[in-house]
Amino acid sequence: MPSHLFSERLLCPLSHRNSKEEVDPSLQALESHQEEILKRLYELKSAVDGLSKMIQTPDADFDVTNIIQTDECSPLTTTGADLDLMLGKDYGALKDIVINANPSLPPLSLLVLHSLLCERYKILSAVHTHSSVKSVPESLLKCFGEQAKKQPRHEYQLGFTLIWKDVPKPQMKFSIQTMCPIEGEGNIARFLFSLFGQKYNAVTSTLIDSWVDTAIFQLKEGSSKEKGAVLRSMNAALGKTAWLVGNELTVADIVAWCALQQTGSANAAPANVQKWMKSCENLAPFSSVMKLLK
Amino acid sequence: MPSAASRGQGQDRRSESEESSAADDYAKERYGVSSMIQSQEKPDRVLIRIKDLTVEKADEVVWVRGRIHTSRAKGKQCFLVLRQQQFNIQALVAVGQHASKQMVKFAANINKESIVDVEGVVRKAYQKIGGCTQQDVELHVQRIYVISLAEPRLPLQLDDAVRPEVEGEEDGRATVNQDTRLDNRVIDLRTSTSQAIFCLQSGICQLFRETLIRKGFVEIQTPKIISAASEGGANVFTVSYFKSSAYLAQSPQLYKQMCICADFEKVFCIGPVFRAEDSNTHRHLTEFVGLDIEMAFNYHYHEVVDEIADTLVQIFKGLQERFQTEIQTVNKQFPCEPFKFLEPTLRLEYREAVAMLREAGVEMGDEEDLSTPNEKLLGRLVKEKYDTDFYILDKYPLAVRPFYTMPDPVNPKNSNSYDMFMRGEEILSGAQRIHDPQLLTERARHHGIDLEKIKAYIDSFRFGAPPHAGGGIGLERVTMLYLGLHNVRQTSMFPRDPKRLTP
Repeated sequence: MPSHLFSERLLCPLSHRNSKEEVDPSLQALESHQEEILKRLYELKSAVDGLSKMIQTPDADFDVTNIIQTDECSPLTTTGADLDLMLGKDYGALKDIVINANPSLPPLSLLVLHSLLCERYKILSAVHTHSSVKSVPESLLKCFGEQAKKQPRHEYQLGFTLIWKDVPKPQMKFSIQTMCPIEGEGNIARFLFSLFGQKYNAVTSTLIDSWVDTAIFQLKEGSSKEKGAVLRSMNAALGKTAWLVGNELTVADIVAWCALQQTGSANAAPANVQKWMKSCENLAPFSSVMKLLK
Repeated sequence: MPSAASRGQGQDRRSESEESSAADDYAKERYGVSSMIQSQEKPDRVLIRIKDLTVEKADEVVWVRGRIHTSRAKGKQCFLVLRQQQFNIQALVAVGQHASKQMVKFAANINKESIVDVEGVVRKAYQKIGGCTQQDVELHVQRIYVISLAEPRLPLQLDDAVRPEVEGEEDGRATVNQDTRLDNRVIDLRTSTSQAIFCLQSGICQLFRETLIRKGFVEIQTPKIISAASEGGANVFTVSYFKSSAYLAQSPQLYKQMCICADFEKVFCIGPVFRAEDSNTHRHLTEFVGLDIEMAFNYHYHEVVDEIADTLVQIFKGLQERFQTEIQTVNKQFPCEPFKFLEPTLRLEYREAVAMLREAGVEMGDEEDLSTPNEKLLGRLVKEKYDTDFYILDKYPLAVRPFYTMPDPVNPKNSNSYDMFMRGEEILSGAQRIHDPQLLTERARHHGIDLEKIKAYIDSFRFGAPPHAGGGIGLERVTMLYLGLHNVRQTSMFPRDPKRLTP
């Protein structure tokens, strides 16, 4: 906790006035209120100090090494993830993931993840247009392709409802009772990717997380200088491994590839990045999304 | 006594001076009560619509017909607000070249709501005139004639009738209660809010027609006096019919279906529907306007559901585009969030609705019908997740639907039936109908219905009937819910309920 928060200077004008004979009762009340707040701040500070001591001490309550050891990287294509376990118990309705997105900036990574999820689960996909948007390009309305909806709704494992809507950034809603909406393309991508049930150790998942943030905040929304820096570090990482993190495709690759496509800096990318992009595009989910960009 | 005498004297003196001045009233010809228009003549005078009076018309001399909305005399001038439908303009009568003192006095004394013909110069206003729809211009009156005089005492004040209902009755300003409004409906309908509501309602009918005709539907007319109760025996009005009795149609369903059997394929009808239900709620009327659809389909009743839902979406879109002014006018008095919807319409299944309600803590059985509070709650849950005020609930339990509803082919406890909801309230109920006489007989027997009474209905399917489905919409409910109003009587021009048969 920064110590300047409690700077004595703050107190000076009040205590100065205090020395005078006549003390305004409202001023007095204000002063006691201030003291109370300061007291609470000190309490908070000591609580935080205690916590940080606990974290920094090696023999604290939990052991980081334990987590690092649970490293069982399995390819995306294997089955085994239990949706009920991941999404919580429900009452038998279709587990419908609702994503609101602005047609002026389609969240490509979520579309890639959608196709990947379709390879894994029986998914009922739907595209709607919200009354807040006037018109949506035909290609976006058909971004899930032709769907054969032959089965009753409840026989699907998952629902994926994409709503083109006037929203500043993509938004995801799942269970309105137990979950708050998830905002931002990167965060939704993380959630969707977690449905594959991959288990990563702490270091790997931190790396994946970090690449997702880098892709969204620096590659997609950052300045050209930032973009250049990201491309260089991507190039370095891809020199060592086939994918951004390790030897399996992760959400980091998906989000980064889509960010590159949308910023149009794909052509200026260094060699390793170019090679990696080719490997992405060889996968069907990526190539179908590329058609939307044209 | 002396005071009374002096008052009498004073009165005398005043009338004397009035008489003398009447003689030299230089504007005598410029005002008065015009003789009753009995179509004596066809003058060339062009009357300009008040809504067309804008700054482009500045300095032109125009004739206008309108009602005296308000009048306020102040010394040598009188401010009038002239109203025509939901539009109004400020008019000024001031002593000067065109108007005498007597003319100003005459104008100030015209009863509110009287209809007048006014000739005046359109002048640009120095500052925006609040409270008028024509804010940038005013009318400087040169002539004013009363066409139809209103009685001096109005049963309700128009300004009170459009005042937004503020919580806690803030500053004690008057509002008008519903019975007073409905008892004096002619005046209540003159308010800007009522004008807007019924313009929009006309728009709903027009859009409904437009959309369905474009989709290849045929508009039909069905009889309202019928020999047998169409939807079971309950809730039906009996009328005397020569030496026997007849019933008022509870829905045009039988006739719509007969049209399908007669190969019209896609039909719709707009007409009155009667329900003898003694329920005094915000959404029940004993007579309302039904917008009914029936359609033959190829293989799956969802073909019909999609068509009906798209019709409603086209109506919502049309209203959003063409009736923005009306929507905003109503919003001024009854503030409400704009109506939101998805295209294509969200379709949920009944079992999902039950699951959503259970997740929210409601205890209900699989085959239990939705209660009104649960309907509302479900509407809120759906809105929260999908942000739509309009959705379809499909696959109702067979047990809660009428006998002619087609059972689900897989789960015999379900049926091929659906309801549609606006802002959490049901507006449409429909189903695939049984088109097989044998199954229909079986189902009727299961419901304990006297087969003799519905013989004609069953017989109409004996000569080959295409598979078909349909549904009926209540016009007043759609208007009410689209605008977010709270009582269906606001959207029925002359409502009929168990307690009201007049005006």
